[in-house]
Amino acid sequence: MTKNSIDLTLKIWRQENSRKTGVFETYRLKDISTDMSFLEMLDVLNEKLTREGRDPVAFDHDCREGICGTCGAVINGVAHGPEPETTLCQLHMRHFENGDTLVIEPFRSRAFPVKKDLIIDRSSLDRIIQAGGYVSVNTGGTPDGNATPIPSATAELAMDAAACIGCGACVASCPNGAAMLFTGAKISQLSLLPQGQPERKERAMAMVTAMDKEGFGNCINAKECEAVCPKGISIRNIARMNREFVKASFLG
Amino acid sequence: MAGTGSCLVLFLCSHAAGNATLFHSLRLFQAYANQLHGHPMIIYVLSKGLFLTFAIHIITGILLFWQNRKARDHKYKVQKRTVKMSQASRTMIYSGLFILLYLIIHTSAVSFGDHETIGLTISYLFSSPLVILFYITAFIVLAIHLSHGFWSMLQTFGVNHPKYNKLTGWLTYIVPISFLLIFGAIPLLFI
Amino acid sequence: MELTANVPEGPLSEKWDNHRFSSKLVNPANRRKYKIIIVGTGLAGASASATLAEQGYEVSSFCIQDSPRRAHSIAAQGGINAAKNYQNDGDSIWRLFYDTIKGGDFRSREANVYRLAQVSNNIIDQCVAQGVPFAREYGGTLANRSFGGAQVSRTFYARGQTGQQLLLGAYSALSRQIKAGNVTMHTRQEMMELVLVDGVARGIVTRDIINGELTTHSADVVILATGGYGNAYFLSTNAMASNVTAAWRAHKQGAGFANPCFVQIHPTCIPVHGSYQSKLTLMSESLRNDGRVWVPKKPGDTRPPASIPEEERDYYLENKYPSFGNLVPRDVASRNAKEQCDAGKGVGTTHLAVYLDFSEAISRIGEAAILKKYGNLFQMYEKITDSNPLHEPMMIYPAVHYTMGGLWVDYNLMTTIPGLFAIGECNFSDHGANRLGASALMQGLADGYFIVGTSIANYLGSTKTQAVNTDHPQFAASKKQVQERIARLLQSSEDGPTGKLTVDEIHKELGLLLWDHCGMARNKEGLEKALAELPAIQEKFWKNVYIPGSGEELNQSLERAGRLADFLEFAEIMIRDALARKESCGCHLREESQTEENEAKRDDNNYSHVAVWEYQGKDKEPTLHHEKLTFENVTPSQRSYK
Repeated sequence: MTKNSIDLTLKIWRQENSRKTGVFETYRLKDISTDMSFLEMLDVLNEKLTREGRDPVAFDHDCREGICGTCGAVINGVAHGPEPETTLCQLHMRHFENGDTLVIEPFRSRAFPVKKDLIIDRSSLDRIIQAGGYVSVNTGGTPDGNATPIPSATAELAMDAAACIGCGACVASCPNGAAMLFTGAKISQLSLLPQGQPERKERAMAMVTAMDKEGFGNCINAKECEAVCPKGISIRNIARMNREFVKASFLG
Repeated sequence: MAGTGSCLVLFLCSHAAGNATLFHSLRLFQAYANQLHGHPMIIYVLSKGLFLTFAIHIITGILLFWQNRKARDHKYKVQKRTVKMSQASRTMIYSGLFILLYLIIHTSAVSFGDHETIGLTISYLFSSPLVILFYITAFIVLAIHLSHGFWSMLQTFGVNHPKYNKLTGWLTYIVPISFLLIFGAIPLLFI
Repeated sequence: MELTANVPEGPLSEKWDNHRFSSKLVNPANRRKYKIIIVGTGLAGASASATLAEQGYEVSSFCIQDSPRRAHSIAAQGGINAAKNYQNDGDSIWRLFYDTIKGGDFRSREANVYRLAQVSNNIIDQCVAQGVPFAREYGGTLANRSFGGAQVSRTFYARGQTGQQLLLGAYSALSRQIKAGNVTMHTRQEMMELVLVDGVARGIVTRDIINGELTTHSADVVILATGGYGNAYFLSTNAMASNVTAAWRAHKQGAGFANPCFVQIHPTCIPVHGSYQSKLTLMSESLRNDGRVWVPKKPGDTRPPASIPEEERDYYLENKYPSFGNLVPRDVASRNAKEQCDAGKGVGTTHLAVYLDFSEAISRIGEAAILKKYGNLFQMYEKITDSNPLHEPMMIYPAVHYTMGGLWVDYNLMTTIPGLFAIGECNFSDHGANRLGASALMQGLADGYFIVGTSIANYLGSTKTQAVNTDHPQFAASKKQVQERIARLLQSSEDGPTGKLTVDEIHKELGLLLWDHCGMARNKEGLEKALAELPAIQEKFWKNVYIPGSGEELNQSLERAGRLADFLEFAEIMIRDALARKESCGCHLREESQTEENEAKRDDNNYSHVAVWEYQGKDKEPTLHHEKLTFENVTPSQRSYK
């Protein structure tokens, strides 16, 4: 591990609550160890602000190991910052230079209202899943796990899609705030697996309808979502969703 | 967008094929035009259908543009594109509007003109370097529009599979470039 | 406090069947009349919410995160055990039962553990039916791997994200019930208090994290699925929001707390790299199969590892335990690493790490073979530390990972408070004094999908519940208590931050105290010292903590302070429990209880029991009760690895 440290200027979006408008505030941090994670750097800032009697920056975070999907912010215009396939909590300060200015903004979309500072409301994503992102099976009475063989390659493809952590970076990076990658990943996972077949058409229709209702924008195939996705989810899943949707709409 | 877009690509194909007669001679082109107008039913159905397709394509495009602007109601202070190629996708509305402008000029000057003298009309038109420049610019913009549009259309129809992605990848270059070459070369014939 | 385990009659393998048959049922038409509150949406909470809602109860589900999908079960990497015996390698329900109870060093209840092994198979079927993309063989059948030293391959997995996929399965079932209107989901709500009416759990008080609003909720049954308390140590592999508050609130109202000193410490974590460190990241133990653990022989040696010659390295595990070497059990590996660092031989900038060196394995089988086995782990390590284990030894250090202790529950998973149930890591569970790898996911889902439903029906079917809603004066009283508590938390901040401490500063102090004296190896002297020092930290907190902002807004400092206040109280029974258990057992070495060869010595004559603590009131010593453990089907054996 290196023992380097850097000085930074942070420009952070500060917004008291969803009713008020926000502004950017500038903070300077000295001697930030490059071994710190981005969130630990924010911890250091917050400890400093607290000691000065100022309001610390509110930001969402939980597991801090890149899997829960709670954290996320736009760093210098890129959701989750400059490292590919990395959540904000797994981004380390060694990827920045001494003297850098970092502009830190919340994930933005009409469907993601800001609650405070960098904290947003992503319940719209939950409602998309509620519309049909499941197999309608009650607890109990299910067949043996090996009753239906699933080719290894299919299981792997489904797993590729299922790896989505629901962080919302795809929406944040999309020029139109579309949730196609998120929705496409879930529809893909379930339409690939035999367990998802009975409700395949209804699911595609219901989830796409829910997505539009929540105020997400439309896909213009800009591919920005795929580029920032911390789990490397491919836009192939969007194509698969489109296929499912077209099939469901025209072939009913 | 993809549905109407694919119809329009088909139209472009037929239009390009027809226009390609110009590479042979102005006379053949005139003959082609006369032949075409010898079937008023075809002209009627195709022109109305084409107008409708264009209208849907344009109106949906503009509606989506507004919807998408609304979905991203707050701009980022720092705007950064992670994907370089996405520039075409973000400018679809602008390239599209420019093509619309071209269409209005082109159709009022050529398509709705007297088809019996269409050969003369275009040779008169292309005697002006400014017109040639405008046409070529329009074809370049069309190529940019298609460079995203063609791939985007496939993606929207769900055509994205590692097996065929190499082919579709090539097509996204070949299709717009072919149109650019065919349409772009025509004004140059008149220099 | 009465501790009736309510273990059903009959032979071990028939107990669960007998129990289900003798349990009362609730008529399907009547279920809608019963309200159930479930706090927490991890594997246990989400699966219970979905299952009970499917059965027809009116369920209210609460989570602290912005979405039920984010609970910390999501971080489990390895897999989930089941006794399917798909590999035909000699596994059975009985073997899974035996391995689990032996792994827990014979400190859990036979009947509970057997039931866990029985339902383990249903869990796999359930998850497959939900569309969980488990790894498959080329023929399309489910793949298994051997995990955590088990001799059979019984672990099902979905890449390194098994916890995530199982949780998303349970979350999807929960989402379906939310859509159907059978579950009311409350996100970003923190449970602040349990409400008892006439000694029976009848509701909770929650605080809305976004605006600070306090709300009361009433129900016929309250189920806690609020996870473990590893964050008492400040640094652990737990998520930042994991806390003991819900369990502790219940404990203060009369729920017995069992075995609080049973904490699992994992030997292969990425070490602490600075005082700003906020959490520790676990790496799979499998690394020890090919890595050699060593430290420099000379204390304070700061040379880079490559310039320390072979003869100046101490391969302490290989030297001390020649037959097991680097593969000694988790607790032994953890304990020895700490011993070396305490002796000044720790490496890295903080000197709180030991080397895990792959150079010998690389020269033996080559880089490619090593990368094939550990590629993703090496990548993860490099991402965090910026150092490539192919070129320089990894640095590892133990970290708090899982808590076996928790609210005491009977066979029905009910606590000592009628109507209050505890499921998942939140209860004292089936893992005894140590948990086997890939068993936490199994237990959470067993409780939620297959066990708690029977218990709830039995409880509601056999208890006459009176109609109570939030108008009952007890709800207002509880809410007022919470308000006063928040006001008290904010009191010390009124005159500004000068001379004050932040929440984290005090939490780190508590963490260090517990780590040093109530960690892997304990002794009477250290524990008494910790017990004596604890009140000073508590006082420092209440008098000197600075919390900016108010209670009526989104205030993350206040949230952390509330949780720390409970950890500070809870730490006392952790230390007392460790002090009272004078044997070495499971995860822990009690230094006074060792064999002549310095191995852990269990004392079945005096400590074959569950230690259950009862709260007696502020400034009063808690009392200790015992639930005697009897073993009718297995004979407790002493482990040996020399």
